[in-house]
Amino acid sequence: MSSHASNVDPKTAELWDKSHYQHDVISTRTFGYFMYLLSDGMLFATLFAAYGVLSYQHSYFGGPTPADFVKPWYTFAQTMALFLSVLTYGLGMNALKHKNKSGVINGLLAAFVLGALFLALDIHDMTHLASLGITVATSGGMSAFIILTQVHATHIFFGLIWILVMMAQVLTKGFTTDVVGRLLTLRMFWHLQAIIWVFVYVFVYLWGYMS
Amino acid sequence: MQVKWRNNLKNGWRYAALAPILLLNGCAGNPYWIFDPKGLMADTNLFYLLVDVGVMGTIVGLTALLVVWFMWRYQKGKNRGKYDPAWSHSNTVEVVVWGIPIIAVGFLSYFAVTGTFEINPYNPTVITNHLKPASDPVEVDVIATDWQWLFVYPQYHIAVANELVLPAHTPVFFRLTSTAVTTTFFIPQLVGMIDVMPGMRTKNALESNNTGEYQGIASDYAGAGTSWMTFKTKMLSSSDFGQWVQKVQQSPTSMTYTSFNNYADPYINVHHKVAYFSSVQDGLFDHVIDEVMNGKTWRIPPMMTENMVAYMQKQNAEHRD
Amino acid sequence: MLVDLAGGWNPMLGRLAWSQIPYDNPILAPLFVAVVIGAILVLGLITYYGKWTYLWKEWLTTVDHKKLGVMYILIGLVMLFRGFIDGLMIRTQQAWAVGSHSSGVFGALHGYLTPFHFGQVYSAHGVIMILLAATPLLVGFMNIIVPIQIGARDMAYPYLNALGLWLTAAAGALIMISLFVGDFAHNGWFGYAPIFELQYSPGVGVDYWIWTMELVALGTTLGGINILATIIKMRAPGMTWGRLPIFVWATLSANVIALTSFPALQVALALVAADRYLGAHFFTAGLGGNLMLYTNLFWIWGHPEVYFVILPAFGMMSEIFPTFSEKPLFGYITMVLASMAIAGVSWLVWLHHFFTMGAGPYVNSAFSVATMLVGIPTGVKVFNWAFTMYRGRLTFNAAMLWAIGALFLLLIGGLTGMMLAVPAINYMVHNSVFVVAHFHSMLLVIVYAIFASVIYWFPKVFGFKVDEFWAKTMFWLFSAGTALVFVPMYMLGFMGMTRRLDYVFNTVWHPYLLVMEFGIAVYMLSVLAFFALLYVSIRDHAKNQVGADAWGTSRSLEWLTHSPVPFYNFAVLPHISARDEVAWRRDNGIDHVQPDHYEDIHMPNNTGVAIILGGLTFVLGFALVWRIWWLCAFSLLAIIALVIYRSFKGDPGYIITAAELEEMEKEAIRREAQVGKQRHQAGGGVLGEAIAYERSDLPPLASRPSSSVGLDHRS
Repeated sequence: MSSHASNVDPKTAELWDKSHYQHDVISTRTFGYFMYLLSDGMLFATLFAAYGVLSYQHSYFGGPTPADFVKPWYTFAQTMALFLSVLTYGLGMNALKHKNKSGVINGLLAAFVLGALFLALDIHDMTHLASLGITVATSGGMSAFIILTQVHATHIFFGLIWILVMMAQVLTKGFTTDVVGRLLTLRMFWHLQAIIWVFVYVFVYLWGYMS
Repeated sequence: MQVKWRNNLKNGWRYAALAPILLLNGCAGNPYWIFDPKGLMADTNLFYLLVDVGVMGTIVGLTALLVVWFMWRYQKGKNRGKYDPAWSHSNTVEVVVWGIPIIAVGFLSYFAVTGTFEINPYNPTVITNHLKPASDPVEVDVIATDWQWLFVYPQYHIAVANELVLPAHTPVFFRLTSTAVTTTFFIPQLVGMIDVMPGMRTKNALESNNTGEYQGIASDYAGAGTSWMTFKTKMLSSSDFGQWVQKVQQSPTSMTYTSFNNYADPYINVHHKVAYFSSVQDGLFDHVIDEVMNGKTWRIPPMMTENMVAYMQKQNAEHRD
Repeated sequence: MLVDLAGGWNPMLGRLAWSQIPYDNPILAPLFVAVVIGAILVLGLITYYGKWTYLWKEWLTTVDHKKLGVMYILIGLVMLFRGFIDGLMIRTQQAWAVGSHSSGVFGALHGYLTPFHFGQVYSAHGVIMILLAATPLLVGFMNIIVPIQIGARDMAYPYLNALGLWLTAAAGALIMISLFVGDFAHNGWFGYAPIFELQYSPGVGVDYWIWTMELVALGTTLGGINILATIIKMRAPGMTWGRLPIFVWATLSANVIALTSFPALQVALALVAADRYLGAHFFTAGLGGNLMLYTNLFWIWGHPEVYFVILPAFGMMSEIFPTFSEKPLFGYITMVLASMAIAGVSWLVWLHHFFTMGAGPYVNSAFSVATMLVGIPTGVKVFNWAFTMYRGRLTFNAAMLWAIGALFLLLIGGLTGMMLAVPAINYMVHNSVFVVAHFHSMLLVIVYAIFASVIYWFPKVFGFKVDEFWAKTMFWLFSAGTALVFVPMYMLGFMGMTRRLDYVFNTVWHPYLLVMEFGIAVYMLSVLAFFALLYVSIRDHAKNQVGADAWGTSRSLEWLTHSPVPFYNFAVLPHISARDEVAWRRDNGIDHVQPDHYEDIHMPNNTGVAIILGGLTFVLGFALVWRIWWLCAFSLLAIIALVIYRSFKGDPGYIITAAELEEMEKEAIRREAQVGKQRHQAGGGVLGEAIAYERSDLPPLASRPSSSVGLDHRS
């Protein structure tokens, strides 16, 4: 057994790189961003765990439960808004393949409008709850419900800012490596938020409505 | 009987292993509470401690010797051992270095699991499997406040603050809760720790055949008064215990839901004050849990966290001492 | 929406008021004066010598992973010192306040710290030692060493790297300022529910604790992403997974843990903040809260965090043992597997931190067995280190001594860890000082590994070795301190002494506490020895200069490039042919072969954005602690604006031309040759002993396979 785990002949070995070895910038960045999204997924997993622990009957402490105020069709409208937003973003990315600037801008704009619609519906929902006197201070169960849904909404809010920034960058800078890389990472971000919304919709809204 | 052979084994090990310690402290009594158990639960804990230390101590000790030997043998320039600059793999050695820990962990896992069931605070089989029909278990409800202990004896309708009195040769079953924050109930020579949490009920149990006085401790940080939140545990013979119950039943003060409300205000028990209550309103324990779950808290005066001297003067002036 | 506060609040200053400044505290007020004088002195000196531009250009705005690493280590050492002083205060209080007849001063009934202050001291001690000393020190070493070991010019994201550093610095600043403005948490470093709720901790202490930990968590998550991407994406050609240096593997496994576990901490603390700021009921005892949820969430992060700090320490030891045993690491593959196994199992053991919480015997058994499983890969590591020494040629210099010290501490920590893993034993010693002694044994493994690494990698970073005599003196003093403090602590654990007592009711424990106090004094001497070490090493640096392969027996890739490492790391990226590349090149006589021609290098520009973002985050944290809402909004908006600004500006980087590169390389090679000559002249003595170049077992130079050394080797 060789002490160096090497079968390379030192007489002919290549000692220094001659192949103009380059690191792929976009691949490195999207990979890193993918890892950030993993940690974001862990963040939501922890929140879901907290919600799971705090969604027993005694967690609501005799107060209102999601079954009392969740309107499945209202939330379904939010779901559709977010899904269509992701779809239009995807169409924009399709246009990116053809270096079609206006296609990208239109896709991003539609994604922004639909995302903003989602957020507006969410804010309306929360103010409605507040008008009923339901806040995070109502009970442990309501704390978990509101914080989980609003952490997701906060992600959507920052995603919307990011979409605006990207529209400005596409317009001013064109498709540079930086901009394309960011468009791809933003796509991952936007998709992940939609995926997490599936869980929020099913496990928080629908399950809460039925139990 | 199982417990018996274990005791024999244990005594043998104990005096072998602890000889130096016992020599050091022979006259003053054994200060090593963990090595000087006086109850079934603590006994069992010590047995598992000795098994674990026996197995792991052998492995760790031999490994340490091996390392020292290598250090001596292969020191540079001494030429005691052969130098083999390429040697970095051996299947035999790999099997051994993985095998030893796997076997040790497998062996200890068996003991870990059996031990967990034997001293499970909710149903300790070392006690429950040997329950004698003659001796009725004593029940004690433990309520921890900021920063006192209240021991309620529902069978006798009495309560004692900051002192636990129990009959020997009798199983004792505890229910525990707290009014304010989390702490831990611990009597080193009798029974291991169990958390005491507000709005919740935990359980513990002990049995001891040794009369005497043992230290009880609040072993989890609960705020300013934690260090003074200690209590003496007195193990009495059953006749002494009967007399003690009668004595307490004649004390002037009683404990109701209302008086508990005052009692539970934050209080640092610097002088280890003990109080007896001749009667206790029924269901106090469950009442406290309900109150806490409904959001009741006993607020801590900010002064108590900042300036203890001033607070103690205030506490004295209010005749709560 | 926001909760009512017990004290005052005004829109301008939030909860901040004069009464929050402890100007009448007999310990803090003089300390504050000393700090202010010290700060003025340092700033004055910088101004006097006109070093502001240098400082700003070369350090504060740098994105060079080595300089960032050095700054991480500096922060870590400063915080290690602060944490040590906290430890000193804890020991002094416990040695003093024993028995009801002990005296009390400064408003305390016994000793010199009131319970509330004592609580703050040990909470700060824990938070600082784990999150602001051990973590930055290890992250610093990962930063410096990993890119060089894999043959990269920098981290995958140099700017993000700087951001991670300045977030950590902001967290350190926040916890330091809690000394003089307001107070710190008294609920222990991991916090207890519900004592950290507003009604039991009405002050700002818990808020300082929350936001400090949040900032560290954010910085470490970003750092973890960066290091993972660097290892996976930036390896030099030929650096296959099987050839990765063992420290890189350890770092990889540790950062997988960091990436996945830190979000759990962030959530746990954010929910505490929701309770305290919004009046939520996550962890309250009443109104549907669940206080056990907090303990679970915290330790779901907390236990992986323990392995996040211990795995890099294992990696360091795995680098140091082979170098000073002059042979390869025994069982490289099992070592990698063991690291990964520890990382995996770390997720399945968190409940062993609270066996006493009353979970059923099935749950406790499962977690007990899972905890013991950790003992298997850890045991394998110990055996592998032992067999690395077997048939080696051991040099016991200071770095090796520290590493061996770490190994023995690991044996003690492992023994006691296996005891704590058994619930039947745990019930007796949980929350006792036995547990404290156990995890200090484990954390001291890290400290020993870190000091070993400081000595081991110091010449790589600065180009000269540290003084051997003082390094060894410090080791022996430190080890004496360790024995004097922690042996009595283990004994006290068996006596039933519980942790966090600000007043010790049992006078039987007094002699042991006094021995521990003496041990702390010995520790203090070792701290002084460390300062002497730094002073003497810097004074004699010309004497101790080294070449690329500082120890002469080094094995991994970082020893291929010059010492100190040029800012571009490698003029030409090396092509990797072996697992221990440098040892392979040396054994084949091609270790002095230099590249024959150079090409342009693209490097990232420095940026001031990272440090400004760090500063703004500190302001945000401070504003959140004191509930100064306008300042929160301002700093948050400024952070967002700055991030967007940076995204528009981008960084085109700059080019080092081949000619410039050749110039710098020639200079470095010339310097190296001079060092070699000096060494030859020096002959024996301290220097000669430490350098194990001359290998009698190898054939003479002329008959080695490839003796044609020099620039023309490849032609």
